[in-house]
Amino acid sequence: MEKFESGMAELLEVDTVDASDVLEGFEAWDSLTSLSIIAFIDENYGVSVSANDLVAAKTVGGLKDLVLTKAKKA
Amino acid sequence: MDGNKEYILITGATSGIGCSIAVNLSRSYNLILHGRDEEKLEKTKALCDQGKHLVLYRADLAASGELESSLAGLITEQGLQIAHFVHCAGYMKMLPLKVLTLETIQRSFAVNVIAATLIVKVLTQRKVNNALKSVVFISSNISNFGAKAFSAYAGSKAALDAVMKCLAVELAPKVRLNSVLPGAIPTEMTKDIFGNKEVVDRMLADYPLGMGEAGDIFEMVNFLISDKSRWITGQQFVVDGGRSINLSA
Ligand SMILES: NC(=O)c1ccc[n+]([C@@H]2O[C@H](COP(=O)([O-])OP(=O)(O)OC[C@H]3O[C@@H](n4cnc5c(N)ncnc54)[C@H](OP(=O)(O)O)[C@@H]3O)[C@@H](O)[C@H]2O)c1
Repeated sequence: MEKFESGMAELLEVDTVDASDVLEGFEAWDSLTSLSIIAFIDENYGVSVSANDLVAAKTVGGLKDLVLTKAKKA
Repeated sequence: MDGNKEYILITGATSGIGCSIAVNLSRSYNLILHGRDEEKLEKTKALCDQGKHLVLYRADLAASGELESSLAGLITEQGLQIAHFVHCAGYMKMLPLKVLTLETIQRSFAVNVIAATLIVKVLTQRKVNNALKSVVFISSNISNFGAKAFSAYAGSKAALDAVMKCLAVELAPKVRLNSVLPGAIPTEMTKDIFGNKEVVDRMLADYPLGMGEAGDIFEMVNFLISDKSRWITGQQFVVDGGRSINLSA
C-alpha cells in the first residue's frame, strides 16, 4: 500500500504524506485535487469514492482505511 | 420516396437526453433506437409511442473499427431509409490533466467524434442510404469555452462541432448539419454533479433561467431536423438557460 502514500504525495504536491495529515490542510487541496484523488483511487483500487467521502475521511490515513474497507467489500 | 419508410436514427437513446428525444420524436417519426445494452433499449422502446416503426440497433460506439459495417449491414438487411440522424451518445469523464489517461482521451473521441463522423459517412453512401436530409449532433456548451478537468470532453465536443461545420459545407445542399450545445441537465452523465447540493446551488446561480431539462433539448432538435430549418446549416445552437453568456461576478 506504499503506492497509496506516494500517489497521494504526488497529487497533493508534497514529498511525503503522514497518516495523520489532514486533507484540507494541504496547500494544494482544492476541488481539482479532490477530483484527481477520486480518479487515482478508482484507477488503482477499483473503488469509487465521492467528494463527500473525502471530506468525511478527514486525514490521509482515514482515506486509506476507507479505500481498504471498500476494496475488501468489492 | 415513401415517407412511411423513412427513419430517424438516434444514438444514445437508452438514457437521459437521448431517451427523451426518442420518446418525443416517436409521436411523429419511425425511429431506429441505438444503444449498447439490449435491456435498456427495450425499456426505451416501451416508453415510445407504439404507432410508428421502432427498430433497435445495438453497437458499442467505442469500437470504431466495426461501426461502418454493422450500420450498413442493419440498413441493407432491413431495407431502411434514414432521413435524419441525431448523435446523442456521449462519453464524459472529468479528469484533471495530472490523472488523465490515454484510454479516456481515446474513448471520448471515439464515442463523441469518430462515431458521429463514420455514421454520417455510412448514411451518405448512395448504395446504402440515399435519404439523408438532416443531422443534429448533441455537443455541449463547453465546446466554445474551457473548464478545469474538461480537456478530453471539451476537446472532443469542439472537434465534433468542427466536423459538423465541414460536413455542412461538403454535403450541401442535400444534407444539413447543425449542433445543439446543452448546458447542465440532470441525467446519468451528471449524477455526481447533481448529487452534491452545494455544487448544484453554486451552479444554478450561474443559470439566469434556472435548471433545464431533457425536453428543452428535444425542442431544438425537433426544429433542426425538420424542414422548418431548411435554410440553416453548419450552426451551433446553445441551449443552456443563458449560462454561457452570463458574466455576472
Ligand atoms: N447531461 C448534461 O448535462 C449534458 C450537457 C451537455 C451535453 N450533454 C451531451 O448530451 C448527450 C446525452 O447525454 P446524457 O446527459 O443524456 O448522458 P447519459 O444519460 O449518460 O446518456 C449517454 C448515452 O450515450 C450512450 N453511450 C455512452 N457510451 C457509449 C458507447 N461506448 N457505445 C454506445 N453508446 C454509448 C449511453 O449508453 P448506456 O445507456 O448504455 O450507458 C447513453 O445512451 C451526450 O452527448 C452529452 O455529452 C449532456
